[in-house]
Amino acid sequence: MATVELSLKLQASSGSKIKDFLNANLINILAAFLFLLLAFFLLYPIIAVLLKSFRGPSGFTLQYYQNFFSKNYYYQSLYNTLLLGVINTVVCLVIGFCLAYMTTRGPWILRKPLKIISLVPLIAPPYLFALSLIILFGRNGLITKMFDLHWQLYGFGGVVISQTLAFIPLAYMMIENTLMSLNPNLEESAYDMGASEATILRTITIPLLAPGLLKAALLIFVMTIAEFGNAAILGGRTPFLAPDTYTMITGESDFNMGSVLSVVMIAPCILIFFIHNYLLEGKQFTTIGGKPVASEPRKITPLIQVPFMIITTVAAGAIFVCFAVVFAASFYKILGVTHNIVLSNYLDFTSNQAIYNSIRVSFVAAVIGAIIGVLLAYVIVRGKFFGRTFIEMVSLSGFALPGTVLGIGYLLAFSAPPLKLTGGIMILALNCVFRFLAVGVEAGISKLHQIHIEIEEASADLGASFLTTFYKIVLPIMFPAFIAGFIYTFMTAIVSLSAVVFLVSPGFDLAAVKIFDAAVYGEIGIASATTMKLVLIVMICMLILNFISNKTRLGSSMKKSAAV
Amino acid sequence: MTTKGVTGDMDRKENEKPMLILKDIHKFYGNNEVLKGVSLEVRRGELVTFVGPSGCGKTTLLRLIGGFTDISAGDIILDGQRINDLPPNLRDTRICFQNYALFPHMTVAENVGYGLKINKWPKDKTAARVRELLEMVELDTFGDRMIDKLSGGQQQRVAFARALSLEPKVLLLDEPLSNLDANLRLVMREEIRKLQERLHITTVFVTHDQFEAMAISDRLVVMKDGLIEQVGTPIEIYERPANEFIAGFVGYVNFMEGRIESIDETTCNTVVNTEYGRLEITLEQDDVKTGDDVLMVIRPESVSLSLDCGDKSQNVLCGALKSYMYAGSIAKCTVTIGDRTMIIDQYNPRDAQQFQHADRVEVEIPRSVHLLKKK
Repeated sequence: MATVELSLKLQASSGSKIKDFLNANLINILAAFLFLLLAFFLLYPIIAVLLKSFRGPSGFTLQYYQNFFSKNYYYQSLYNTLLLGVINTVVCLVIGFCLAYMTTRGPWILRKPLKIISLVPLIAPPYLFALSLIILFGRNGLITKMFDLHWQLYGFGGVVISQTLAFIPLAYMMIENTLMSLNPNLEESAYDMGASEATILRTITIPLLAPGLLKAALLIFVMTIAEFGNAAILGGRTPFLAPDTYTMITGESDFNMGSVLSVVMIAPCILIFFIHNYLLEGKQFTTIGGKPVASEPRKITPLIQVPFMIITTVAAGAIFVCFAVVFAASFYKILGVTHNIVLSNYLDFTSNQAIYNSIRVSFVAAVIGAIIGVLLAYVIVRGKFFGRTFIEMVSLSGFALPGTVLGIGYLLAFSAPPLKLTGGIMILALNCVFRFLAVGVEAGISKLHQIHIEIEEASADLGASFLTTFYKIVLPIMFPAFIAGFIYTFMTAIVSLSAVVFLVSPGFDLAAVKIFDAAVYGEIGIASATTMKLVLIVMICMLILNFISNKTRLGSSMKKSAAV
Repeated sequence: MTTKGVTGDMDRKENEKPMLILKDIHKFYGNNEVLKGVSLEVRRGELVTFVGPSGCGKTTLLRLIGGFTDISAGDIILDGQRINDLPPNLRDTRICFQNYALFPHMTVAENVGYGLKINKWPKDKTAARVRELLEMVELDTFGDRMIDKLSGGQQQRVAFARALSLEPKVLLLDEPLSNLDANLRLVMREEIRKLQERLHITTVFVTHDQFEAMAISDRLVVMKDGLIEQVGTPIEIYERPANEFIAGFVGYVNFMEGRIESIDETTCNTVVNTEYGRLEITLEQDDVKTGDDVLMVIRPESVSLSLDCGDKSQNVLCGALKSYMYAGSIAKCTVTIGDRTMIIDQYNPRDAQQFQHADRVEVEIPRSVHLLKKK
């Protein structure tokens, strides 16, 4: 009996050797293919920027770096950028912490509304805040004229304010996340041992949150120093690295100096990336878990409640006012100057054309991004090959990289044969795909972590090949992640400005670029109306996303814990 | 002399006053009433266990006593003082959470000394007290360790020591053993009980494990759906449950319906008429009378099995052995009597192996059966 079985097996295996090899190595082949894509569309452009910064007319040179460090102007630009980053990070962290503390520890009735207001800026392109500040405090701003003020909005202060408002949701989300992960019994134990609210904060909450807070701080820092729109619109004569890079390329066509500025911007990102990955690794405290419970509201002492409430109210109020002002401004040619309510801003042909282009580009980007994202997630989670973590690192890195870097990188890499992409829709779409790949990959990874590998093993055990298992088991389970990746990519791509601003060709405007130009040239009405259209599109995306996560398990656990 | 006598009397009076009184406690979450009027007195030095199926309100009740949740109506009185509105940091109760809630960024000693530090004890006194507590839980050499370098049982001891550090009037334990494996759970249960008795500390213990509850408590409080079903010693709860739910909750039970035919007032000899014949028992309760329809509470271990079907003595029913399952210390037998199935535990199963292949057996119902009045 046994020998017969064995020989049968042998026969079968020798008959389909190639198929078996493919089956066993399909995941590795897939990984190799994906890595090639990453190398070509993500690593190559970055390396191109790096090379350009060292390559003069006669080969290798450090001339451009010498330029950078010898000119006061660049120094000032670097200094401003770093200072902006630090101030922004600190302010966002404080506001984010106050908001998150109130929505996780505060009275029930405040939790929901505060949470909504904190997250509202997510539906807006970040430069909405620059726009609303111009409308309120600009040279012809409502408040400037009402009180006959003589101040200068354009400059450091304006950029700080608009950036802070733009990054509140990111800070809030990250801090809320760490606060939620903190076992409420820890704080209750301290409370039980006689500690007051302030003592609990000082001795328990903040020390335990420190690693999470530091991570949030690093990410916000990286994102703010790389943010282009607010600094470009409100910077005025104050130099910042990101807008300077833009002027260097579009104004002076100096690709070498543009590359140097980009590299200087990447440097802190890389530094922080290493701090994040190696210094903080394993610093998260673990405790024995019980049932996860939402904290019941404590009686927060006025000593803490009052300042926290003031900070949260001011922040929430400012966010609300900014939205209201842009909404109002979209119905006037220039709000505060002209007084007729008009719809012409919404009907403007170039604005609608730009919106249409943006939708097309973002749609293509979202389709490609979601597919690559799901496949990458699968390879990263299930693969066992060498270099898996490297692939993960690379695929997530696009998000933290300054957009301007990938903008210039794509210009340098794809403006000449063998792959000339400039001038078309593809270069814009691919740029968005690889810049925002992280969201799709993350969605896929978190979905895959919910699925036990046993499910796939069970399928294989029942005789299914790798491909069959992937097709019949993995893909259906991953589908919600695919949709989530699609919509996230679409949303992020459609409002993004910093990279595509380098890549649009004359006659093919994107909405974000259109808003930027209109804001710079003072066409406030058009800028506002186009912004509102984007807000509407993003809102629809969010609603769909919310609907999907309610339908699938992606968000149900989140909901449950919120309801408790 | 007189003075001494008076103070002695006062001491005794003081000692007889309950440490904790719960008066008609209600708790609403929105429209959902999770506690529907709970009243209880906990005596000094007593270990009382709240036990019940999940969702019965036992943990909520514990959190109310600790001050972590506001009560909707009723009073909590601790040592004569109404503490409804006191926040946890001002209440003289200390809680041990199910997950221990040890501060992971502090050492063992810092954890145990946290409350002392908060209450501004001088440094040397704190150190001495921490040492004393760690010795008490046999962790005196572990003071400098970080929490994540301890085993589950050790973490449990640290949490216990921390809760005791300020000598609370009432110690609250929320399912403290549920994160330990089965053997350790038995050990820790005994240790907690020993320490509690030695320190004579009033303790409220919450668990969903009825056997743990019976083993550790002076008194059990059986809860269901936000109400107290019965309060009593483990023996009272097990031997004389107040209703079917409790009878079934604290162990397996065979119910048999019947009607009381007669009660002999002097000998308490009582005849119950069942569909399988008359059974005689010795009545130890006074809540039933002749003519009542009753449920007989027959515990699996109180019934004895035998093979000889010859002499039809009293309280013996004939049945068919359906299954015999050997489980080490006991054997579980399933016997059908008429259309009723009865579970019977046989101890010393090695001796009882004779039943393994038998099909007819005799079942002897004990005289000490408890009766539940049918409503």
